[in-house]
Amino acid sequence: MNRKLTLRWDEKFPELGGSPIPIDPCISPEIYDQEVEKVFKKTWLKVGRVEEIPKKGDYKVKKLSFANTSVILIRGKDDQIRGFHNTCSHRGNKVVVETGGEETFGSSRAAVVTCRFHGWVYDAKGDLVNVPEENKFHPCFAREENGLAKIRTEVWEGFIFVNLDDTATESLEQYLGDMGNHLKGYPYEQMADVFSYNTVLECNWKVAHDAFAEAYHVETIHAGSFPNVFGSGLQDVELFGDHRTAAVCLTNNASPKPAAALSNSITGASLVNFKARTMLPENVNPSNRDDFAFELSVLFPNLLIHISEGVWFTHQFWPMGPNKTRWEGKYYLPKVNSYAERWAQQFAVTLQRNAWLEDTATMEDTQAALLSGSKKVMHLQDEEILLRHGYHVLEKYLNKEA
Amino acid sequence: MSNTLPNQFSSLEPFSAKWALSTEGKRQQERIHSTPDELKAFYDAIMPQMEEILSTLDQHPYGQLPEELHPLYWMSLSLAEIAPHVELYKGSNHVPFSFEEARFEAEHGNQINI
Repeated sequence: MNRKLTLRWDEKFPELGGSPIPIDPCISPEIYDQEVEKVFKKTWLKVGRVEEIPKKGDYKVKKLSFANTSVILIRGKDDQIRGFHNTCSHRGNKVVVETGGEETFGSSRAAVVTCRFHGWVYDAKGDLVNVPEENKFHPCFAREENGLAKIRTEVWEGFIFVNLDDTATESLEQYLGDMGNHLKGYPYEQMADVFSYNTVLECNWKVAHDAFAEAYHVETIHAGSFPNVFGSGLQDVELFGDHRTAAVCLTNNASPKPAAALSNSITGASLVNFKARTMLPENVNPSNRDDFAFELSVLFPNLLIHISEGVWFTHQFWPMGPNKTRWEGKYYLPKVNSYAERWAQQFAVTLQRNAWLEDTATMEDTQAALLSGSKKVMHLQDEEILLRHGYHVLEKYLNKEA
Repeated sequence: MSNTLPNQFSSLEPFSAKWALSTEGKRQQERIHSTPDELKAFYDAIMPQMEEILSTLDQHPYGQLPEELHPLYWMSLSLAEIAPHVELYKGSNHVPFSFEEARFEAEHGNQINI
């Protein structure tokens, strides 16, 4: 067999090689600890969208449990979004009580947050602006020096990212590099109806991540929700530094059943139907393939952004332990203008939810089987090239000096 | 039984107590706790009337639906919930080969659709 003729992506990216991938990084607690220190505490991580805190004084608190902290993202009176550790400078209480669990939202007309313990008040620049009974503190205490601990926070295309490494200087734009250029200009903010799902999975973050980063599984895993949808293979695979992207192309041979046909006649909210090009950035689907379903872009380490005509969605994977991951799936659609559109949107979202229930079905079984130790490696085929690149990038980070 | 639906949809009246549910979370629970026969009976009754239902709802600007039409709207959304089970999953009340639905949180699941 002449392998060179058939392995398109191996030919394009020979530097990735073709060897099996060790399983150890998916099960080893020691490697997990290194990933937290060398990857998750060193890279830019998406923690929200600007539309989630639209008004001055709006804030969002997101737990970053891998780092034992939570970040307060607050929009200041100057419309700038800044990030801080949710830790009071007094005796370390959480300034904002995290009633929402993983994510808590709030709003302050004065654009301040106040600790419930003793009433210390911080403004949206993190400055400590009021301390009750300030005159009873010792002279060595200076209010000006006791603001909230900052977390580097930057915004790209409406996505809010943080970086826990306060000694590093690489900007978010530099970090994203050509991956950012590739996805720039898509009208993310115009898809204002958001449908968010989440769960905690008993598996390593990469097991969950990898299951969504290939289209090889479509015909088996999605035989229920997307019958007769066939992958026509990845197209236009590009590696951009630590990040990677590909077009997922699908052929839909199913004639739609009545409810699906009705939904399709009203809206383009489904992923697997052809739609004319109106909004994709020029480098996405450059040859205008008819079977283009969506662009699958992997932003290292834990974010997948998918863009398509009139719909985009993300998957994100938060490590909570070697065998524990919080998954967040978000589906973004244009605001509807009528009840018929709302119905069609609900049909498309329901089907997508069910497809994600199919995707997440394998992950805990995979982890349990990997933990048996009965296999030492996994075998990736050419269409799983994005996974292969991911393990190469991860290895590069783990080989860095701490 | 008092009427909850406009007269032209009176044939759907027997289904309204079960399927006129205001949130995605409630509709999902109802589907999980229904038998395949119950799903099929509701689907067969409402599917042929869907175009008429949507045009009835669309006589009102989005977001300004009169309260008396809420049950009809919610029943149409219940169809969106159950249709894949009748059309794709051989009538099963569960998504075949799927993750546990009870552990899968919809952040909008308790929002009332009006």
